[in-house]
Amino acid sequence: MSPTTGTQTNAQAIRSGRLTRPLRIAGGRTWRTPGNPHGRVGRLLQPAAAVAVGLLFLIPILWMLITSVASDADVFTFPPKLWPAWDFSNYAKAWGKSPWLTYFGNTVLIAGSVVLLVLITSLLAGFAFALMRFRGKGVLFLLVMSAMMVPQTVLLIPNFIIAQKLGWYDTYLIQIVPWGASVFGIFLLRQFFLTLPKELFEAAEMDGAGPFRMLFSVAAPLAAPSLVLVALNSFMGSWNAFVWPYIMTKSDAVRPIEVGLQAFYGTEGTDWTGLCAAVSFTTLPIIALFLFLQKYFVTGVYGTQGSVRG
Amino acid sequence: MKSIVQGRPAASRGRSGLRSPVAYLLILPAILIFLVFTIGPTVFTFIVSTFKWNWLNPDQNKFVGVANYQMLVDGSQDPPFAATLLTSGYFVVAMVVGGTAISLALAMLLRKAGRINVAARTAVFLAHVTPLVATSIVWVWIFNPRFGLANLVMSWFGIPNIDWLGNSRFAMPAVIIYSLWHEIGFTTVIFLGGLTTISTELAEAARLDGCNAWQEFWNVTFPQLRPVVIFVIVVSSVASLQAFTQFFMMTGGGPGFDTATLGFQLYQQAFVFRKTGYAAALAVVLFGITVALSILQLRTTRSLGRNA
Repeated sequence: MSPTTGTQTNAQAIRSGRLTRPLRIAGGRTWRTPGNPHGRVGRLLQPAAAVAVGLLFLIPILWMLITSVASDADVFTFPPKLWPAWDFSNYAKAWGKSPWLTYFGNTVLIAGSVVLLVLITSLLAGFAFALMRFRGKGVLFLLVMSAMMVPQTVLLIPNFIIAQKLGWYDTYLIQIVPWGASVFGIFLLRQFFLTLPKELFEAAEMDGAGPFRMLFSVAAPLAAPSLVLVALNSFMGSWNAFVWPYIMTKSDAVRPIEVGLQAFYGTEGTDWTGLCAAVSFTTLPIIALFLFLQKYFVTGVYGTQGSVRG
Repeated sequence: MKSIVQGRPAASRGRSGLRSPVAYLLILPAILIFLVFTIGPTVFTFIVSTFKWNWLNPDQNKFVGVANYQMLVDGSQDPPFAATLLTSGYFVVAMVVGGTAISLALAMLLRKAGRINVAARTAVFLAHVTPLVATSIVWVWIFNPRFGLANLVMSWFGIPNIDWLGNSRFAMPAVIIYSLWHEIGFTTVIFLGGLTTISTELAEAARLDGCNAWQEFWNVTFPQLRPVVIFVIVVSSVASLQAFTQFFMMTGGGPGFDTATLGFQLYQQAFVFRKTGYAAALAVVLFGITVALSILQLRTTRSLGRNA
């Protein structure tokens, strides 16, 4: 009488094609049996639960925005005031206390350069690993894949020493070049190129095209959607990076926004209205980017499933 | 480029365009970056871990063999390595068990299309894309012992104010709550993807047989989802084992060393206490665990590919 047994019987029935019709009753409504909660109550409960979950996850962000426009009197009371005084001067106050424009500029420069490098290295290596034949390909691909196994924290100590040996400590270079190749990017591009029909390249070869022309005039344009994914992944990684730039730099002139925000937190640790304003104006650009490009973010998650994270 | 000019002869040589030493040139930039900044440094970490490394004067570096590893085992360091492992274990287990269960439940709740579900998914995933530094600050404010939102919620249940981040009993749970908030969006989306690939006919058949929702989930949906569950477990173990930023921002490893996980200890020993050799030994341990988990991940990914 176990439900599994019944299921399997039905499953077999479905595979043999016998039960596909009776599963739905007239009018297209789903068949319901007693004891099945997907009924009337479930139909009301589910949206209510979905709304509750959504709000629960938004509360911290809403609370950040509310505190950012609260007055100091609102903030230092308990229970906390849930309706703020709409004091927008916190933003001006926080903006004036740190070189935010420099931080923003650095982040854009660093993230932009990382994205550019990653796109180039992924496109080139992804193409070679997918479509070209050369000695040692298997070993070299394994070498690339093995790079994903090394945690960033493990790399901090040796790279700190390397950065000083190269004279790259406290520069843009140490924040850009080490992140200029991505296992995720190479893997994703390789997977994409493997799906392209062989005839495409055979035709190009018949025309006498060399690898460069095949790559840039045949393969690369087709890879645009994958390239967007890789770009977004690198951009977010670079924007959100903290421990690496924190260790590898010391001056505001080259430090990115998240490190700047941490420094601001260090000096203004109890000014919660100013802090929440600073968190808001440094984070809203990323939130806006996410809302515009949501589709790609979600596809990116599935991309990582096929390979690696980050 | 010669083949383009010559045209015909190149074609007659067959697949010459794709069998060309140019391939090495194409992979060179990526390989070079990985060798210099990832693979080389990993080997270097093993070397550093056998030295008493002098931060300021490399000439005074002294080879000490396995002494740094002995310090791991004999518990002579503060905090002892065993305590660090336990702290990491606490965080990893809570993140893996809590994260997997909650995100699977959320995926089940939000699996059907529709405006409300899509909006709720967006809200859940939005938390995941926020920078750790930024939202850690917001959550420090939420966990504020005197004016925090968390204590407001507690007061509704008649619980007096808690010093969340300053109390050794509550500091880790507080960081876990924040980390769950931040990570669940990622794993929920993975589960939602997994749910789209499984058969709905089987579930309907189970319902027809009189299964209730729980029986249907446990006996029909969950078994089909098992490879995705394993993937999520492995991915979140690797990620939470390496977690650093939220500890740095929210507790600084404290109070005492109560939230000093392996990733945080590595940073603290190397860059605060300047015990580079010992920190490198910690890094080797972290590396070992990650490699083991990554191999597991590769295996599960492969089985995912077969099933999905």
